[in-house]
Amino acid sequence: MKALKTTVAAAFLLLSGFANAADDTAARQIVEKLHETLLAAMKGATQMGYKGRVELLTPVIESSFDFDSICRIVTGRYWKDASSEQRARFIATFKQLSVATYAANFSSFSGEKFHTESSETDHDALIVRTTLTPADGEPITLNYLLRPSNGVWRIINVVAQGVSDLSLKRADYTAVIKTEGLDSLTNRLDKKIAELGKGS
Amino acid sequence: MTEFSALSRLLAASVVLLAVAGCASTDTAKNNGDPYENLNRKFYKFNDTLDKNFVEPVAKKYAEYTPNPVRNGITNFFDNSGYLNTIANDLLQGKFSQTAQDSGRFLVNSTVGIGGLFDPATTMGLKQHNEDLGQTFGKWGAHEGAYLMLPLMGPSSYRDIGSPVMDMFLNPLTYFASVVTIPAGVVSAVNTRANLLDATRIRDQAALDPYTFVREAWRQQREYDIYDGNPPGDGYEDYIEGKGDAAVLRVY
Repeated sequence: MKALKTTVAAAFLLLSGFANAADDTAARQIVEKLHETLLAAMKGATQMGYKGRVELLTPVIESSFDFDSICRIVTGRYWKDASSEQRARFIATFKQLSVATYAANFSSFSGEKFHTESSETDHDALIVRTTLTPADGEPITLNYLLRPSNGVWRIINVVAQGVSDLSLKRADYTAVIKTEGLDSLTNRLDKKIAELGKGS
Repeated sequence: MTEFSALSRLLAASVVLLAVAGCASTDTAKNNGDPYENLNRKFYKFNDTLDKNFVEPVAKKYAEYTPNPVRNGITNFFDNSGYLNTIANDLLQGKFSQTAQDSGRFLVNSTVGIGGLFDPATTMGLKQHNEDLGQTFGKWGAHEGAYLMLPLMGPSSYRDIGSPVMDMFLNPLTYFASVVTIPAGVVSAVNTRANLLDATRIRDQAALDPYTFVREAWRQQREYDIYDGNPPGDGYEDYIEGKGDAAVLRVY
């Protein structure tokens, strides 16, 4: 009986081990898919133009990031006071801004390489550590924090060379909400999107 | 002798600053770590006006007309002349093997690298490190104390305010005649600003409140430097409380 219990426990541990390993792979795939798409946008940048890059990146970015959670975090304590219309409008704008930022900045290719270094569990989230290496230069570290959302892994943060996108945006955005309100923040982000489109 | 007494005065001043930083660090959370925000914002505006109207345009022209190999040479030269400061801070942080490596790097680049214009040390496996007095204090356990926006010099804190002073004393260029140091200082400043053009482009592209953006980015960069690329935190616990189904996003 005791032997059976041990076997069951061992089998369970083994299975849960497999499940974790599988989860790890799924999370890495999310990040790698994003990187592949960014590379495709960079390599085809001139043919595609800014609009083409936005079209290419939109579906991938929308399915890679947990925008609901990200938007709650970057608006901090002001989220709970926002109406559902305000929230929906902010989330839609924020998604567009994310795509526009990637499309504007990943706009040329000169031999850059992405590489997944490792992944590790952090509570029930995962950190996927990657690097972006320019053809002639030191690698830049890009660490992704992913958490399960409705059964799939989604990115909630990108930490580039030690600078966390989420906490930078939270500081910047809450400073604006505090003085001007959430609607004004959303309007200003809309303007940013227009500027990103014009600049590219 | 004068150098020695200057150095001892610097160390004494540093100890005082460290003590101040230690005391002030207790109420950082209450003030967002930025008790002088009003004054800091004024200095930020002053620096930004000067930068936008004068320094940035000059740096852009410089970047436009200076070929990359020349810019790299100039960057290498000033990095090398400031490297004794890195070595001293390696030592202060107890990083003995890094002290040896960085001393080797300085010797190789100063000689084979023709006074630091070239960087053969990196190809030899002696990578560049980034250390300064503020990082040393951080490593010793000092907190930021309070964020400071210094006129002309930019972001700093009680913990970091001694860094440029120590850097200046340990930079051989400081001890040349002013006919050398002043033009060298100008070239160094313009070159440094040119190397930051990408960073400020990202700031201008993303920031809504550039003052807050710069403060947060600078802070995180310093943490990253102090912990040599492995800062604690900024993982799950910074954003989420609890686990599994009970997990909720942390709201500030």
